[in-house]
Amino acid sequence: MANVAAPSTSNSFSWQVPAWLAPLAVVVAAFGVVPFVASPYVIEAILLPFLALSLAAVGLNILTGYAGQLSLGSAAFMAVGAFAAYNFNLRVDGLPLIVTIILAGATAAAIGIVFGLPSLRLKGFYLAVSTLAAQFFVQWALTKFGWFSNNSPSGVIDAPPLAIAGVTFDGAVGRYLFALSVVTVLTAFAYRLVRSQAGRNFIAVRDNELAARVLGVPVLRTKLLAFAISSFIIGIAGVLWAFAYLRTVEPHGFNLDRSFQILFIIIIGGLATIRGAFFGAALIVVFPLILSRLGSAVFGTVFDSGVLDMSQRIVIGALIIIFLIAEPDGLAALWDRLIKRAHGRTEP
Amino acid sequence: MTRHLTDVGSIDSSSTQAAGPDVASLLQGYDPGKPATEPILHLSGISLAFGGVTALTGVDLRVEKGEIRAVIGPNGAGKSSLINVISGVYSPDKGTIGFAGQTYAAMRANRVAHLGLARTYQNLALFKGLSVIENIQTGFAPRVRSNFVEQTFAIGRARAEERSSRQAAEDAIALLELTAVRDRPVSTLAYGLQKRVELARALVSRPVLLLLDEPMAGMPAGEKQELAAYIRTARDSLGTTVILIEHDIGVVMGLSDRIAVLDYGHKIADGTPQEIQANQAVIDAYLGIAHPEDDAVAGEARA
Repeated sequence: MANVAAPSTSNSFSWQVPAWLAPLAVVVAAFGVVPFVASPYVIEAILLPFLALSLAAVGLNILTGYAGQLSLGSAAFMAVGAFAAYNFNLRVDGLPLIVTIILAGATAAAIGIVFGLPSLRLKGFYLAVSTLAAQFFVQWALTKFGWFSNNSPSGVIDAPPLAIAGVTFDGAVGRYLFALSVVTVLTAFAYRLVRSQAGRNFIAVRDNELAARVLGVPVLRTKLLAFAISSFIIGIAGVLWAFAYLRTVEPHGFNLDRSFQILFIIIIGGLATIRGAFFGAALIVVFPLILSRLGSAVFGTVFDSGVLDMSQRIVIGALIIIFLIAEPDGLAALWDRLIKRAHGRTEP
Repeated sequence: MTRHLTDVGSIDSSSTQAAGPDVASLLQGYDPGKPATEPILHLSGISLAFGGVTALTGVDLRVEKGEIRAVIGPNGAGKSSLINVISGVYSPDKGTIGFAGQTYAAMRANRVAHLGLARTYQNLALFKGLSVIENIQTGFAPRVRSNFVEQTFAIGRARAEERSSRQAAEDAIALLELTAVRDRPVSTLAYGLQKRVELARALVSRPVLLLLDEPMAGMPAGEKQELAAYIRTARDSLGTTVILIEHDIGVVMGLSDRIAVLDYGHKIADGTPQEIQANQAVIDAYLGIAHPEDDAVAGEARA
């Protein structure tokens, strides 16, 4: 026992790729290449919802993946962010867009803390049920009180144009670059956070709450911090969803289905991994589109669109189940395995 | 039994003596030869019951500074309950807990670390999602003052805190010879190593009092001896007072300065290993020898 086996050290002369190189390459490509090659359709229908949902999943992953607090209220916090941004923009003259977004995130964080309070006593499924209350309450309040949507008769309101310091992010490419910048900054923040003392506290509370408490980890504060930061990020994801993707703000888009969608994204992508949120969102956004293209191409003349839509959902559900049985740790773990295998093949 | 009990002093701690990074500086203020006047921990009249089931009845315990104090007893004697009362996991129904000059009706789990108390668990309570060094760094939590913004951007107080928590963790890793596995996820380690990581996590905050709840349970004999040596090293180099629950009488006799024996929630004996070894009540509790009055009762019942 005293002589611990030395770890198998890899060959010192084998070339090592720095860990930050791959994410940097992705960011550079996303900023420098994608805007020139992607068609407006790809940006509008795939990349914008992908970015918004990825960011929401990064936010939920902090709460559920890292801090272990199960939440079914993600869409509610998206809605809070979107409506807060709309109202700040509407009611405060000349408020810069950046400030609006930060205030929207802060509002979502405040609501998140309120609905996170039950987590101090409840765990697991019981907590999930109490976050469900957030989902229903927020949606109800936004529909019930016309003030939130500026008394618009339909409850559906147009989002204002995106402009920072005189530069307007118009058109598909402009909105894509805007969303990409926000997602990049917040993802970098989340990445740093989960590797700090605060991130270690999240994991400690998740893995063994009693041991964390006895060690002196401030458990209550850690849980509420997770709720606040998670809701902050999800709220800003809601701003992107409404302002950059849909360009309308309406409560119905932020229903329980959306909350489940975000939860599925982090489960499929991999809990407690940042990149898993992006893998999962890619699958959830792109896969239905491919299926529906495929479905209408093959069966379009035989079945009507309702039947196709239904069977598409069934196929996705079945694939998720099969996938989770094959790889319970999600796409991120699958990715790591593939990388490792590729390395094993190139290195003797 | 006797052969087992005389197996004293077989623990060889010399192999671990050189392990401490700065043993000499850690030793200051610790003098094992000098008898302490004020006990570091003083339980008096601790009683605890769960519903109708009594776990502890009027237990008194004095623990002097710098000693290794064992608590032994058969299964269900209340040993773990006692540890849980001291570490604030349970609140006693009666009695007081004196710790470091203060008297408490009950300890609070979220404050004990700040008072200088650390513990390990009978069933491992490591953080599976963290590496060895990250697990150990978590033990530094009571000293952290910075907020999450400082921590995320490594600015302000967080900078120095991260540096000192890493240093403290490295010291604990060196002390317990965990260097080879420092970056491994704890869940991939063998059981004995995980026990050692837990000990390191408890030691990283330099606790005044260390509670070990069956640290050697389920280990082969050789590993038990090694862990015993690590516990002694921790006491000798950090001056930590140790309360130890253990089933293996042989290890306990060799390791501890004084032993308290619990049976059915009562303390039935308290003294040096030699005294405990000769104590009739202890032998009876372990071997289940019937007293004459028991025979009488049994006889009456039969009649």
